[in-house]
Amino acid sequence: MRLSKILKCSLCQRRLAGAALALAMTLTAALLAACGGEGQGPDVPVVSSIRVGTGLAADQTLRRALDAMPRTLDPSLLTDVDAQKVTDDLFEGLTALGLDGSMVPGVATSWEVSADGKNWVFHLRPEARWSNGDPVTSADFIYAWRRQVDPKTGTEYAQALAPIVGAMAVATGHAPVSSLGVDAPDPLTVRIALNSPTPYLLFLLADSFMQPLHRATIERWGDDWTRPEHWVSNGPFVVKEVVIGNRITLEKNPLYWDAASVRPNQVIYYPLETLTQVGRFMAGDIQFASIFPNSQFKWLKSQLGDQVVTGPYLGISQMEVNMLGPPFAMSRDLRLALNLALDRTILANKVGEGLQEPAFSVVPPLPGYRPQIPEWASWSDERRHAEARRLYAAAGYSAAHPLRVQLDYPTGEDNRDVFDAITAMWLTNLGAQVEPYNEEFRVLLQNLRLHKAALFQNGWIGDYPDPFTFLQLFQTGFDQNFSAYSDPAYDALLSAAAQEADPARRFRFFEQAERRLNEEGVSIPIMYYTSRHLVKPYVKGWQLNIQDRIVSRYMYLLEHEGG
Amino acid sequence: MLKFLGRRLLIALPTMLVIATLAFGLLHATPGGPFDTAKRMPPEIQRSIEAKYHLDEPLWRQYLRYLNDLAHGDLGPSFQYRNTSVNELVRAGLPVDAVVGSLALLTAMLVGGFTGTVAALRRNSLWDHVPMFFAVLGISIPVFVTGPLLILVFAVQLHWLPSGDWRGIDIRYLLLPVAALALPYTAYIARMVRGAAIEVFTSPFIRTARAKGLPTRTVVLRHALRPVLMPLVSFLGPAFASVLTGSIIIESVFGLPGIGRYFLTGAINRDYTLVVGITVLYGALIIAFNLLADLCYAWLDPRVRLQS
Amino acid sequence: MNAAILPRPARAAGQWRQSWERLCRHRPALVALALLGFVVLLALLVPLVSPYDYATPDWDELYQPPGGGHLLGTDGLGRDLLVRVMWGCRISLLVGIAASLVSVLIGVLWGATAGYAGGTTDSLMMRIVDILYTVPFIPLVIVLTVLFGRSFLLVFVAIGAVSWLDIARIVRGQTLSLKNREFIEAARALGLSNTTMIVRHVVPNLLGVVIIYATLTVPTVILFEAFLSFLGLGVHAPLASLGTLISDGANHMKSHPYLLTIPAVFLTLIVCSFSYLGDGLRDALDPREQR
Repeated sequence: MRLSKILKCSLCQRRLAGAALALAMTLTAALLAACGGEGQGPDVPVVSSIRVGTGLAADQTLRRALDAMPRTLDPSLLTDVDAQKVTDDLFEGLTALGLDGSMVPGVATSWEVSADGKNWVFHLRPEARWSNGDPVTSADFIYAWRRQVDPKTGTEYAQALAPIVGAMAVATGHAPVSSLGVDAPDPLTVRIALNSPTPYLLFLLADSFMQPLHRATIERWGDDWTRPEHWVSNGPFVVKEVVIGNRITLEKNPLYWDAASVRPNQVIYYPLETLTQVGRFMAGDIQFASIFPNSQFKWLKSQLGDQVVTGPYLGISQMEVNMLGPPFAMSRDLRLALNLALDRTILANKVGEGLQEPAFSVVPPLPGYRPQIPEWASWSDERRHAEARRLYAAAGYSAAHPLRVQLDYPTGEDNRDVFDAITAMWLTNLGAQVEPYNEEFRVLLQNLRLHKAALFQNGWIGDYPDPFTFLQLFQTGFDQNFSAYSDPAYDALLSAAAQEADPARRFRFFEQAERRLNEEGVSIPIMYYTSRHLVKPYVKGWQLNIQDRIVSRYMYLLEHEGG
Repeated sequence: MLKFLGRRLLIALPTMLVIATLAFGLLHATPGGPFDTAKRMPPEIQRSIEAKYHLDEPLWRQYLRYLNDLAHGDLGPSFQYRNTSVNELVRAGLPVDAVVGSLALLTAMLVGGFTGTVAALRRNSLWDHVPMFFAVLGISIPVFVTGPLLILVFAVQLHWLPSGDWRGIDIRYLLLPVAALALPYTAYIARMVRGAAIEVFTSPFIRTARAKGLPTRTVVLRHALRPVLMPLVSFLGPAFASVLTGSIIIESVFGLPGIGRYFLTGAINRDYTLVVGITVLYGALIIAFNLLADLCYAWLDPRVRLQS
Repeated sequence: MNAAILPRPARAAGQWRQSWERLCRHRPALVALALLGFVVLLALLVPLVSPYDYATPDWDELYQPPGGGHLLGTDGLGRDLLVRVMWGCRISLLVGIAASLVSVLIGVLWGATAGYAGGTTDSLMMRIVDILYTVPFIPLVIVLTVLFGRSFLLVFVAIGAVSWLDIARIVRGQTLSLKNREFIEAARALGLSNTTMIVRHVVPNLLGVVIIYATLTVPTVILFEAFLSFLGLGVHAPLASLGTLISDGANHMKSHPYLLTIPAVFLTLIVCSFSYLGDGLRDALDPREQR
């Protein structure tokens, strides 16, 4: 009896020991987690230091990242930013992107514009070639543009050509393709007739939708013309290989008219998730990352120093209200109350890690344009909060009867923190109970089209560096005017600006329109976007620009060791 | 046996039909379409695109057209990657998932099976508690943590292995994704095998065999293996089908061009044909592997009769 | 018949008490139970006692490491991590246990019925399982949120719709093996109804495998719920579950590792406890085991 008891006991003991061991390990892990994390990463920088020489590296293969796989490389059919980044390297329009992002002569060497600003003439350079040796002629541009607006082609952004006479008539099927206001009197001249003076035309001409296409290739191969074996383009590079989901390889186009100045031999684009890009960059497998997470900014800066690059980006993150019904339609006080109660500096510096600029008005900083910053932006916090509360009360809300509304925003990695912060601010500063609600993008889009959301985020990226692309968002009848804001005075100002040939006077009209928008409080701007990149120190020949279109042709790699 | 197989294959057809129909219906019920971007198109152009992809036809017509194509092995054009067919995408992506997935599951079976068995044999010793603790970790720590962690340690800090990319059958590029994918499965299998093995080892007939003086190895291999494999086989059937159609997280973390990512972006971008196509593929694999599993039952346990 | 060869018969009342006593003697299971109870207690009490809440940002205390005023540190909005993790435990335990229980129940009944019935019934039931395996999940969830709005109940439906399938298959496999054993034939000879057969004779013999699988389901369900929140289902921000805390923490893995390790440790503790508890339960319910 005694013996078996002892045996039993020792079995128990062993069991206990085992359990205790497991528990101990768990607790140790917990302790380590609690004590080990000092809030910073490892003390020694993760990436070994890179030594950069002065001469050119032997291997001039550029490895860049994209945020997502381009859906197509056909410049007319594409809709995503990533596809345009690649076609920027493959095609050249009448104008092209310079090193600093400004417009430089591309296929066109010079141009004239009529006095009323509506008629342009472009002169093409005779030495421009397609990658198969054919000369680039004006007919190639006419063909491409007609194809862009032709309903039969089924492009998703025919409105890109809206400023051109007859474009929308053709796109809506009311006119034949030949009626588009462009023509080619001779192989080296292109004429464009515009509906109204369009100062940003030169930027439009460098867009993918305005680039020339090789007619014979498309007519022969149809939808398959974008395959590497059939590919023909006129830019610094051509497509060598596409592995869907993995990479796009471009190689230098020897027949490009300026091939001598194109440095890289090869450019490989990798579509990668944000965090994966950081990992690959730090391991040295890519040299130019297209994005990094906002929340990692400070840490990356501490690890990589100058390799972390940021700059203003032509876009705004803002909230809009629904002007079709309660609670915002009738109450300007409420709209302004929400606007004033937002602590943008905190959002920008704390939540955004100082990456983004707080936005007080819809149009981001643009050269020549006077920012319409409302007066209250410079008030002290106390004064601003007091005024916000006064407006909130004037709108009929109080602690007993608070505002209860839902804020719709699209699912996105950095969004949750931002909107948690915003709704918390409104609660603290006003007592308003705004509930954040994230939705899958297309579901949200549907709701916005049907004007179902009372308060929602509508981030907007400008198509070209001009105030119109932002102010258009609130124009009556604009198909992305999700707030359904309709103001005849506002529309009149925009029309007046459209007809104005003098650029300075045109901007004055826009400034007036924006002031009106601020007074109405339809938009609750949050922050202006920034472009963020990680760049190896031995990659040269690039500059940040406001549209974040950094072409590969000027880039080159210096000799380097490590990284 | 042949009758059994014949019957199952016969049932497979209507099952596939139901699968395709359900997926088709579900995709079309989701709000938003593949050509819905923030920028609205002029109606004429919208009509043109829809005509090209037959989206303007009544739903039942589109459905029949799809079934007809399916019967000919044509999964249709992808709506999000214009000028590419779903067949092409699957052909390109399936080998990637097949390689990574099967290597991962094989590793998991070997390592998990061995660890679980040893843990059961040496119950309540360190051989049991330590691996089981790691099994718990393997189950609780999600792949989107272990994947980047492996990259951080082996690629970024140690520079021993590349940080991702697909280079065919190249062990340096396969090691990390296979390890990350295998980990949770290894943990699962280890725990399941241990549980089943404990059941078996304490059952009377095993004790009889041991009392007869048979060595442990014989006992394990000849008598215990089969009952232990039964639940494992049930689990592995769907597991294989699932890894063969891609693990979204492994593919995005390591940048592998597999089917899983297409599936995710396809669902988000409403790429009807792509999502339904991959679902149909997954369905075929499920049916095939579950059939295989049933055959394994019969082989493992002679008392199982496949029809009553 | 030799009693040593007979597998477990149906349970008599006295045997439940025996099992309970056996469980009490299983030390690791007791420790696990105590640990679990401790976590539950913390999860319930800490948010009531703490001066911080899970939603209010503190702009001066961003990313504070553990120690000092905030025991476990703060996150990117200055919110106290301890309180958030406790809320996360509440939600994850609720979802994990409830959803796992429901899916185990459905899976066991479905699988046992299919395996026991055999023939056409089995075939039909298993083909339904096959079909459900293949339903594309993301569109399904989106459609559900559009149809039913955003209720927390929908989380259970969505999770439940998927997680019972594996268990059903495993149980069916075991049943196929069991149903041709002698004791089943003996019981059948006694003229017992099918339901009695399934519930009182088949199911108890499956318990071992089922318990193991149930403990494996809990973490899967908890992490799955995090995935659902990306689609707009699940916990509403600023509330967080362990799963969403872990996935948010993963984004800060390099810069602020404690944001990841702390919720991960809690999840591991919970899963560990369930595993050992499961072991204990299985041992306790098995009368053949000799100490």
